[in-house]
Amino acid sequence: MSSTDIVLVRNLLKVYKGGTRAVDGIDFAVQPGEFFGLLGPNGAGKTTTIKILSTLLKKTSGEVRVAGYDIDRDPLSVRKSIGFAMQSVGLDDLSTGRDFLMLQGLLYGLSAAEARSRVEELLDLVGLASVAKRKVGTYSGGMRRRIDLVAALIHRPPLLLLDEPTTGLDPQSRLAIWDYLAHLNEQGVTILLTTQMMEEADRLCRRIAIIDRGLIVAEGSPDALKADIGGDVIHVTVASKDEALTDGMLEKARSLVGSRSYVREATISGDGLTLKTADSSAAVPDLIRVLDENQISATSISVDSPTLDDVFLLHTGRSIRAEETSGGESDLAVRSMLGLGRRE
Amino acid sequence: MAIVRQTYYIYLRNLRTWLSQPMAVISPILSAALMFLIFGAPLGGITQIQGFPTDDYNAFLTAMILVMTMTFSGSDMAMVVLTDILSGYFDKLLLAPINRFSILFGTLLVAGTRALGQVLVILAIAMLFGVSFKTGLLGIVTVILTATIFGMGTACIGIIIAIKTKSTQVTMNSWLLFMPLAFITSAFMPKELLSGWFKVAVTINPVDYVLVGVRTIIIQGWEWESILPGLWALTAMTTILLITATWVYRRATA
Repeated sequence: MSSTDIVLVRNLLKVYKGGTRAVDGIDFAVQPGEFFGLLGPNGAGKTTTIKILSTLLKKTSGEVRVAGYDIDRDPLSVRKSIGFAMQSVGLDDLSTGRDFLMLQGLLYGLSAAEARSRVEELLDLVGLASVAKRKVGTYSGGMRRRIDLVAALIHRPPLLLLDEPTTGLDPQSRLAIWDYLAHLNEQGVTILLTTQMMEEADRLCRRIAIIDRGLIVAEGSPDALKADIGGDVIHVTVASKDEALTDGMLEKARSLVGSRSYVREATISGDGLTLKTADSSAAVPDLIRVLDENQISATSISVDSPTLDDVFLLHTGRSIRAEETSGGESDLAVRSMLGLGRRE
Repeated sequence: MAIVRQTYYIYLRNLRTWLSQPMAVISPILSAALMFLIFGAPLGGITQIQGFPTDDYNAFLTAMILVMTMTFSGSDMAMVVLTDILSGYFDKLLLAPINRFSILFGTLLVAGTRALGQVLVILAIAMLFGVSFKTGLLGIVTVILTATIFGMGTACIGIIIAIKTKSTQVTMNSWLLFMPLAFITSAFMPKELLSGWFKVAVTINPVDYVLVGVRTIIIQGWEWESILPGLWALTAMTTILLITATWVYRRATA
């Protein structure tokens, strides 16, 4: 951490009423020009953290400086220095796209002439000029994301905060936003985004912090974090050749291959094993042989480079994907049906 | 001053939002006209009762329609504020580098504008039904100001409900709170002709004092012993509600 950090977070704690420690004493810093990501599953503390940075939410304790300003002592200067596109896109549905952006410009201190020119520039940039006269409430999901994003940029802030900017978008819209964000970062805008999508973090962020249950469990560039795993990841699906030996077969398979010298770590996942190995080319033939000698068939084998999910697994013992499928998404769907929005 | 400019921007946005919903504009006007039609002629015979202060029941009703429309407009404002909160737009406004009170003031000014517009339309309809003011033009101006300020006061109740509950269910049903304020009054019958618990309830309802004051200006003239309690009640209610709304808003946005 240095005096040049555009974001500086030290021992940040947020305890909600009822005692939930949403953020449990985290530290991180972001340098000007960086593309930094907070990666974690639902409920990890990402939205709480980014809302505190934006001055929308009060912290319980800790130090937070944004663009050189203390968020408690000088919140107005912080708000002038940031653009924040929230997870729940907050738009004025009864306003036209142009009027919505125009008001944003005026509220951020632009003169009427400056705001008019900036609005047209941004509408052109994100391909919404042709629908600028339509009410925002009639826009598609992708259009809503785009106008929300450029609304956050209306005053040319040096720091852009994005809370899950592509959640819920179709792949085409997601790719368009990713390209635009990469372009913005190349133009010198510092970006801090939260995401639960490993692909998003991997593709966009030069540095990420993996956050889980209010704690940062790992931090570094995606490549460095994946390199920490060492070598490749082998996924092997197994079946017993002898039906009588089906019980405990997975545990037996894990025990057999886990003791091989080339296997760094072996975990049971679904109906197979996930193995971390430094040398997959030597591992695969031996793996098949060892299992076969013990009446276990390897019904499928795949060798992958490590992903950020593997990094998350390494540091938390759980998978982000498993977290999302086991509860996160279904919980989100139920909350959405009830009109409750997303929970952090 | 920046806050004046910012309040103006928020005011224009809220005004545009209101005007872009034709039913929100037309509905109070239709309901006022309907009340003259439904209550005016059928209940006109009440004026024959001894002690009734006027022989023009439409003139008697005008104060009731004004106060009732203003009271229920508080419920409308609650929904306006809640919609912004639930859509996330309220957070977007809070993120802007502005004095956050400009959001509250801009909202209250639109409530005042709505109230003013509705009062003018109701008075125009009343005049179409033959109502005339005993106090002349000055009386009309006084009633317009009183009803407008009263409308801003009830808007404060709506804002408080929306901010404190953030609940569509509670806010949509907030008319249940406004209903006794509007109906436990001498709206249909002078207080002297009421009796029992209802008369006691009317006596402690501050809205009734405003109603009586307005009605006196319309049907009786400058009778200060009836008008002054109404003005005091209006001043006290509006002051308390403005302070409370500001306090609740400040706590919610600090």
